[in-house]
Amino acid sequence: MRSGSDSAPVPRNRRPRRPNVHLPASRLLAVRREVAGALVSVAGLATSPVRDLDGNEVGRLEDVVVRWDSGYSPVTGLIVRVGQRRTWLHVADVARIDQREVRLTSTRFDLKDVTRREGELQLLGDVIDHQLVDVHGVRVVRASDLYLTQVGDRLRLVGVDVSLVSLMRRIMPGHWGRRPSPRHVLDWSGIQPFGVPGESVKLRRSHDALRRMRPADLADLLEDLGRAERRELLDSLEPDTAADALEEMSAPELNDLLRDAPLSRAAGLIASMEADEAVEALREMPYDERHDVLAAMEAGRRVELGALLAYDEETAGGFMTSELVRLNDECTVQDAIDALDARTRNVEETSGIVVVDADGRLVDDVSVVQLLGVAAETRLKELVGPPWPVTVPPDADLAEIVENMTDNRGSSVLVVDNENRPVGRILADDVVDALVRDRDRRWPWQRRAGGTA
Amino acid sequence: MTAPGTGAPVAAPTTGKARSRRRSMFLVMAAVAGPGLIAGLSDDDPAGITTYSVLGAQYGYRMLWVLGVSTVALILFQDLGARIGVVTGQGLAGLIRQRYGARAGVLSIGALVLANIGTTTAEFAGIAAGGEIFHISRYISVPVAAFLVSALVLRGGFRGVERVLLALSAVFIAYIAAGILARPDWGAAAHGLFVPTMPTTRDAIIITTATLGTTLAPWGLAFIQSYAVDKRLTPRELPFMRIDVVTGAILTGVIGFFVVIACAATLNPRGLQINDAADAAVALEPLAGRLAATLFAGGLIGAALLAASILPLSTAYAVCDIAGRPAALDDAPREAPLFYRTFAFVTLTGVVLVLLPGVSLVPVLVGTQVLNAVLLLPLLVFMSGISRDRRLMGKYAARPAVAAVYLVVVALICVCILALGYFSFT
Repeated sequence: MRSGSDSAPVPRNRRPRRPNVHLPASRLLAVRREVAGALVSVAGLATSPVRDLDGNEVGRLEDVVVRWDSGYSPVTGLIVRVGQRRTWLHVADVARIDQREVRLTSTRFDLKDVTRREGELQLLGDVIDHQLVDVHGVRVVRASDLYLTQVGDRLRLVGVDVSLVSLMRRIMPGHWGRRPSPRHVLDWSGIQPFGVPGESVKLRRSHDALRRMRPADLADLLEDLGRAERRELLDSLEPDTAADALEEMSAPELNDLLRDAPLSRAAGLIASMEADEAVEALREMPYDERHDVLAAMEAGRRVELGALLAYDEETAGGFMTSELVRLNDECTVQDAIDALDARTRNVEETSGIVVVDADGRLVDDVSVVQLLGVAAETRLKELVGPPWPVTVPPDADLAEIVENMTDNRGSSVLVVDNENRPVGRILADDVVDALVRDRDRRWPWQRRAGGTA
Repeated sequence: MTAPGTGAPVAAPTTGKARSRRRSMFLVMAAVAGPGLIAGLSDDDPAGITTYSVLGAQYGYRMLWVLGVSTVALILFQDLGARIGVVTGQGLAGLIRQRYGARAGVLSIGALVLANIGTTTAEFAGIAAGGEIFHISRYISVPVAAFLVSALVLRGGFRGVERVLLALSAVFIAYIAAGILARPDWGAAAHGLFVPTMPTTRDAIIITTATLGTTLAPWGLAFIQSYAVDKRLTPRELPFMRIDVVTGAILTGVIGFFVVIACAATLNPRGLQINDAADAAVALEPLAGRLAATLFAGGLIGAALLAASILPLSTAYAVCDIAGRPAALDDAPREAPLFYRTFAFVTLTGVVLVLLPGVSLVPVLVGTQVLNAVLLLPLLVFMSGISRDRRLMGKYAARPAVAAVYLVVVALICVCILALGYFSFT
């Protein structure tokens, strides 16, 4: 949900607090000047003169190119306008870059055409003023300025300025607009930039921190990005990470995102989601598109989701997941452990083993805890006994499910058909989701009609 | 529809497919409708009604064609704004910054914020004037209206507010009724709409520019784009969205048409001069009857409420968008301070300017009109530039022929502003 929980490793949407520096104002200003002196503002470099060894102007700087990989991106070259031509200048030919000019190492150098290469970013064209993801602060920002500095023997991109002050500074004319004004600077190593949509060169690799991020935070980031950026970020994620994030999204956002993706990708993402969430996503789609997406899935998953879709979404059938670990009561504890092991590879939560008789009727719901300390060859029917599982029919409504769950203090209820055959399970978190969704409908008429706010 | 070849069970019932499909078409349309209608109709705000009233009262039916041209321009650019929003998923302010740099972005959005504050003031002034016709003090009507629209918008956002606003939009039918009650000369109206004539006086140039500027308002363009982003429409829904936008724009034009003919039929033959829409409502009473006057004043209040609820929100979105700060109504004020501060600032400034005793609103309102008209020029240039940009728009980029049509409108507005400048300084 929206507000970050307290246990979250990174508080989201909260600006990192400014360090409590107890310095007199004059001293603070001096520190700030010193820091600013070591930095080169990329925004301020635009149209700077590029001079050769003798100080003759050969052209004007158009862009700074870096190679993007983890950490601080090294500058690989410059794009310089010489007359009418955009030319590429390797960083080895550059003697010095400062805020006033670029000096070259010789008077003779080759003019090469500009080509985009894998993993390279043009800072003025692709990064400044564009959307970026701040993976530590978990938010989408726009870069007001970028700062280069000399690290060892290379010039590297170290910081992203996201302050309003720097944005305002850039509208000032001449020298005033070019000076670095580091105020609110983020570490470049914690930034995920985006490539150029439509170009063959893409930044396929996503930031490591994105993979470790909470799904809810990732969902918020995806919601805040523009369409091309969102698509690129989503494409760079592993299907499972992406599916987890999608499960956290609001219905209209998710619908937009899935219908925007290529069919096979959308089908793959929905198939990777938990069954009940996947069904919810499918319900939002128009009939034709839903049909196409289902057709693009592998058969087993298609049949499962198709069956779930047939239930009314406001009943037990609509809330439940049909992924059950279902075993005959003649099976052994070892079989149960093997089945759980196979299942937990793609589903995080399995609350129990549904034990059925030869006709497939429900006998008991054996919790994982009950398997502990029991000999591997014990038959499941020996573990069967009270308390008997709580069940609801597929057409039970939310109130009935909540009542059953609270009366029995269980973490889940089983859904059985009228032959007492188990068809699915409703976990407590699904009920919480449904209750929150009901409450989130902001206006009374939306609560009734089942619209989404 | 053909049955699935695989024979696998699929979601929808296999019977009554044709019906379910027609129903789903209707649902898609219902889900997409909103941005075009609301953005279009909110252009018929008090400033717009005033301009149309003056157009009718001073020039009769002769200059109705200006309204026709404005409506065509409105269709073109509202459609473009909504399309840019859907395809890029970004607001206009952020895109201008991204495509044209910080200077262009900050200056144009700065001007937009200023113009929006002025326009918000005009909306609250409209509520005050409309309320006074019904003998309600402005010290009651304006704060109550400000509170109501803020609560509505902050609680429900664009989407939550949509249904209320669509219902509120029904007040615009009042203008159509008022227009018919005024018994206009339909033949003269048709002639004025299709045969352009133009008196070359300063006042005629001013009213032409004002009509263009108020129909195709800059804030409306920014608003429709943020709304399309906020509504999470996908490029697949573009055809439906176009229906919505064209309907909204034509309705806007039709309502403007009826306002002009109501004033042309009653005020113009008697040579009555009016200064604002409330004057028009009062002047209508002895000429077209009490009902027409009441409908006119009621429409004024409804129109002002509609625009006043959109303007602060649209401004807050634009400011956060250009600053790259979180802007979502889902966020708490602590998480999105810039968003809520902008919202409060715009609303409060509007209310205070209207309620301060002894402050003449005329310079504020005239200045806003001029600023809106001038600001339109860079915004339309930026928008047509973005529409041609393949990097931003991909396969939805505008073809050269379409881009040329955009440029014709831009040139037309350019001519108007230059003529206005020429007449103002000679």
